[in-house]
Amino acid sequence: MATYSADAQSRKERKILYNSQYNYEIEPVGVGQDGTKVFKVWGYGKEVGDAIINAKEAAVAACLFKGLPGGAGSAPTPAIISEPNAEVTHAAYFEKFFEIGGKYLQYIAVTTDGEPSGQDRLKIKKGYKVAIYVQVMYDALRKQMEADNIARRLDSGF
Amino acid sequence: MVFSLASFSQAKKPIIMVVPSDQYCISRGYANTYENQGMKQTVPDYKRALQTDPDLRLVITKMSQIMADRGFPLKDLEQELKNLEQEGAEMAMMTSKSGADIAESPIDKLKRTAKADIIMDLDFTIQRRGPQKYISFNLKGLDAYTAKQVSGVAGAGNPSAATAPEILLEEAVLSQMDAFNAGLMRHFEDLFANGREVKMLVKMWSSATEDLETEYDVNGETIELVEAIDKWMDDNCKGGRYSRTDATATMARYEQVRIPMMKADAKGKEKAIDARAFVTDLRKYLAGAPFNLTCKVYQRGLGEAWLIIGEK
Repeated sequence: MATYSADAQSRKERKILYNSQYNYEIEPVGVGQDGTKVFKVWGYGKEVGDAIINAKEAAVAACLFKGLPGGAGSAPTPAIISEPNAEVTHAAYFEKFFEIGGKYLQYIAVTTDGEPSGQDRLKIKKGYKVAIYVQVMYDALRKQMEADNIARRLDSGF
Repeated sequence: MVFSLASFSQAKKPIIMVVPSDQYCISRGYANTYENQGMKQTVPDYKRALQTDPDLRLVITKMSQIMADRGFPLKDLEQELKNLEQEGAEMAMMTSKSGADIAESPIDKLKRTAKADIIMDLDFTIQRRGPQKYISFNLKGLDAYTAKQVSGVAGAGNPSAATAPEILLEEAVLSQMDAFNAGLMRHFEDLFANGREVKMLVKMWSSATEDLETEYDVNGETIELVEAIDKWMDDNCKGGRYSRTDATATMARYEQVRIPMMKADAKGKEKAIDARAFVTDLRKYLAGAPFNLTCKVYQRGLGEAWLIIGEK
C-alpha cells in the first residue's frame, strides 16, 4: 500500500483545489437590494488582475451552479440552474458565456474600493489568491438563463 | 436539456395567495371568538388584520412583487374579500325583467369565500435582543387540497439597532423568497413528472338504492362497486398511483391521487385537466353498463372533487 507524507497529500490537495472548476469560495456579507446578491468571493491567478477576473467568473458561476451559503443575516440562496450537470450539458453555451470579456460581466458589479489588499490579497505559490466584494444581478441573470432555455421558468407549463 | 412541454395547451395554473397564519392573527388580536354548540371557537379576522397592520401589508406587497416577477401574480386576499362583499351585495340587489332573483343555494353561500390552490401561510415577528431588533420569519407553501407543505422557509435575520424594522422586514423577504421559489419549482417539476396530486371523495345520496358494497359483474368477474372504482383508478391515475385511505358502505376516501396534467379530448386535442375533469370521467364510466349509476360531481377547486352516487 502506497503511503504519502502529510505534506505531499496537502500539496496535492491544494493543487487540485487551485485547478478545480467547482471550487467557489463564497462568503455572504449581507442582504442585497431587490434582485441582487452581495457577497465576498475569492479568485486565483498568476497576477492580481487574473485573480480578480477569476473571482468575477466564480461569483457568477456560483450563482448559476452552486448557490450561495447563508450568513450575515442572509438566508441560503439556491442555484439558478437546478438541472444536474448543466455545465456539461450546455458546455458550448457556457464556454461562450464565460469567455474573456464575455456576457457574464453584464451581471456583476465589483463593490471593492480599489485593488484588494491586506487579508484579501494572499501571495501563494503559483500566484495570488484575492477576495473581492461583488454585487451580482441575480434576477437579471436568472431571466437570461430562462430566456436561453438553460433554466426553467417558475410558470413554464402553465 | 430543453424542457419539452405541450406547446399548444397549458396545464391549469394554480392560484397562489398570501394568508397571514392563524398564529399571527390570533396573537395580535385579529380574531373573532364565537360559541359553537357550547364550545368557544376562535377564527382569524383577515379583513381587520389587512386593514390595520402596516407591517403585514408591506410584507405582502414585497412578496407579491417578487412572485409577479416570476410569472405568478398572487391573488390579493384583501381585494378578494372586498370583491366577495361587493359580489354578495350586487347579487342581493339584482333582479331580472320578470322580477326573479338570482338563484343561490345554501351551498353557493358557503362557497363564497376567498380561495386559492396554494396558500402562502405567513408569519413573522419583530424580536428584540437588547437594543437590537431582528426579524423571525416563517413562510409555508401549503397545497389547499392535500394540506401538504410544498415549500417552506424559516429563519432569523441579522440583529440591528440602527436599521428600521420596515427595512429589516424587506430584507427578510428578499433573503428568503428565492429559496421558497426553489421549493415551489421542485413541486411543479414533480407535478409535471408524476401528475397533479388531488383528493377524491365518493359518497352516496340517502336516496341511492345501491351502495359501495353492491356487487357487479365486471368483465366476467363479480366485484363490489368500490373494487370496480379501484380498478378504474389503477387504469386512469398516472402510474396507477393513489391511496384509498378509508372506505365504508357509503363512503370512500381517495388521497394522493395522481392525475395527468393534460389529456387528449375526443378530437385528439390536448386539454388541461383538474380534479373535476378526472372525476367526471369516473362518473361517465359508472353511468355505463353494468353499473348504470347516476352520479353528481361536486368540485372543490383544482385539487379536490366529490362523486356523489344516486342522483344529480
